[in-house]
Amino acid sequence: MFISDCRREFYDVIVSQRVLLLVASDVDALCACKILQALFQCDHVQYTLVPVSGWQELETAFLEHKDQFKYFVLINCGANVDLLEILQPEEDTFFFVCDSHRPINVVNVYNDTQVKLLVKQDDDLDVPTYDDIFRDEEDEEEDSENESDGLEPSEKRRRFEEDVIERTMKRRQRREWEARRREILFDYEQYEYHGTSSAMVMFDLAWIMSKDLNDMLWWAIVGLTDQWVQDKITQMKYVTDIGILQRHVSRHNHRNEDEENSLSIDCMRIAFEYDLRLALYQHWSLYESLCNTSYTSASLKLWSVQGQKRLQEFLADMGLPLRQVKQKFNSMDMSLKENLREMIEESANKFGMKDLRIQTFSIHFGFKNKFSASDIVYATVSLMENIEKEGPETTNFIKALDSLSRGNLDKLHQGLDLAKKQLRAIQQTVASCICTNLVISQGPFLYCSLMEGTPDVKLFSKPVSLCLLSKYLLKSFVCSTKNKRCKLLPLVMAAPMDVERGTVIMVGIPPETESSDKKNFFGRAFEKAADSTNSRTLHNHFDMSIIELKTEDRSKFLDALISLLS
Amino acid sequence: MAGERAVGLVRELRGATGGNLPPFRAEGLRQALEEMRALYERNQADVSEAKSGRTDLIFLIRFRHCCLLRNQRCILAYLYDRLLRIRALRWEYGSVLPNTIQFHMSAEEVEWFSRYKKSLATYMRSVGGEEGLDLTQDIKPPKSLYIEVRCLRDYGEFEIDDGTTVLLKKNSQHFLPRWKCEQLIRQGVLEHILL
Repeated sequence: MFISDCRREFYDVIVSQRVLLLVASDVDALCACKILQALFQCDHVQYTLVPVSGWQELETAFLEHKDQFKYFVLINCGANVDLLEILQPEEDTFFFVCDSHRPINVVNVYNDTQVKLLVKQDDDLDVPTYDDIFRDEEDEEEDSENESDGLEPSEKRRRFEEDVIERTMKRRQRREWEARRREILFDYEQYEYHGTSSAMVMFDLAWIMSKDLNDMLWWAIVGLTDQWVQDKITQMKYVTDIGILQRHVSRHNHRNEDEENSLSIDCMRIAFEYDLRLALYQHWSLYESLCNTSYTSASLKLWSVQGQKRLQEFLADMGLPLRQVKQKFNSMDMSLKENLREMIEESANKFGMKDLRIQTFSIHFGFKNKFSASDIVYATVSLMENIEKEGPETTNFIKALDSLSRGNLDKLHQGLDLAKKQLRAIQQTVASCICTNLVISQGPFLYCSLMEGTPDVKLFSKPVSLCLLSKYLLKSFVCSTKNKRCKLLPLVMAAPMDVERGTVIMVGIPPETESSDKKNFFGRAFEKAADSTNSRTLHNHFDMSIIELKTEDRSKFLDALISLLS
Repeated sequence: MAGERAVGLVRELRGATGGNLPPFRAEGLRQALEEMRALYERNQADVSEAKSGRTDLIFLIRFRHCCLLRNQRCILAYLYDRLLRIRALRWEYGSVLPNTIQFHMSAEEVEWFSRYKKSLATYMRSVGGEEGLDLTQDIKPPKSLYIEVRCLRDYGEFEIDDGTTVLLKKNSQHFLPRWKCEQLIRQGVLEHILL
């Protein structure tokens, strides 16, 4: 059931209860969780927070805690499957689901008592109407009971014939209805996509209650930027949501604009900016950032010798000395930095990079702390998927959660370093995949598989890193290939996950076109292909288009996928 | 060499930092006392000789006496410091000590601990009106009633005042009443998250 009044139906209900927060491991979920935690602290709501990274963990966490809690808040997980079926909760258990995964499972939508969905109503959800998919079972039974005795035999027979006709009619109607229901559900569930970020939904809640702080606003921004960095939402949606947040930003940060009304330098300020689309450039050197940003490296085709030449030309065109470009951005000459953005943009236009400028936000506090929203996203993602230290995955979650608070600058800087490593690894892998022609057209889709033993392959056993890699790879591939048909194909990518258990992780991503609506049909396709071949797969991830698969089953699974999609 | 053993006891205690309580060295203590007795007896013998005119022995006697005093000081320091540590344990762990720590205490120390416990309890009952006042709570002035804590290791179920239980599992995070967490934080099960 959708909640229309977040405050009355959600917050006022749980404010006097003990709540269990189940939070998925993605940056948007972390941000939403941060906002909710801050609200809970204001109101002394006792809660327990348990990180979950997949369906299995969600189930175990639920089983462990179901005796102690009645109210469960699920962040970025749980909307796209029938929750009551997989968790089998007691009648008096309530779920509040704040999830950006779409489509939302219809049972969740039409359950009036136990499942409450915190979803922004203006997203176009296109949920099928109740009558199309549910039908009360009782009206089938009633006719068998009103057999009335004591009538004339002829009367009885006529009655009986009428009954038979009526019943067959009903049965036919029912079959038609079922066929229609299947069709409607198929249309509805075919594509997987993402709705408004959970962090924004939570921020809206805080705002409605007049408890919104600048910090919460920042988390909402990071949540939205995460969706954009991961390419989960369309450019249109991003710009619209940025517009919404910008209104809040100017409401919160109007001070400091004139002399009289100034704030201390240590206070946090958020600013709306047209910034460069270069990853981490303020904490790196401009050169490294240009090389390791997917947009610039794909447009300049940096994996080839010509591409490297083009990069040199690009730098020369801007008139930036190599020595300056290769040193830390912070230490670059002030005179160069002053109108750097304009210079880069002007030259970028000549080199066919028209979208180098994006709308984003940045945060300042103190004299030397300035971060752009995407910096934080990259840092948090790489902290969350850090592979350096063995240990339970939840430790990474906790670290990533900590890095989002301003008090933990050292963790954030550690994250930034990891993010640089990650981006470099992605870029190198993309280059080697393209140079060695690892991306193969399978007909209905492109396929690329990373071998065991490739450098950094361990990094890509994690879902978010692998998704980032696939998106960068597809972008680069589209720029490099001359085959026009291939430009419109989606990509399936596989990487070894666990060598001992012999499993691979496989993701499918939608085609990379300008007008792409970011809708992904691989979730259902994977499911069907696995069913038809009896492959041993595991749909553990909250995104249906990420699966684990036994290595031996890979080829038959792919064959089934090809025949299914062509 | 005279005085080595007693100093060894003190040195060991000094090495155990962070308020840890090392095992009670009954044997070391006995040896130090033994040494003191030997010194004393030899002094006794020499004193009687010195009385009979051997004045050259006086320096030796003085030296031995200094050794005796030093040993005494070391042993007292050892025992007193251990008592201070045991007293601190009462505030840290509450009235029941974990077995590992009790194992490190001598019988006299256990006795002293229970007497200290009793007098502290009597005092706490006498102040703060009818129910008394638990002085071991809120050693630092609290800023809020509830605090955010993170679980550092699997602890199992933990019951709080209102009868509900919380499952403390590694890396889960909780927002709990401060007065219930304080002890677990001191024991290192929970970590207070400060932002």
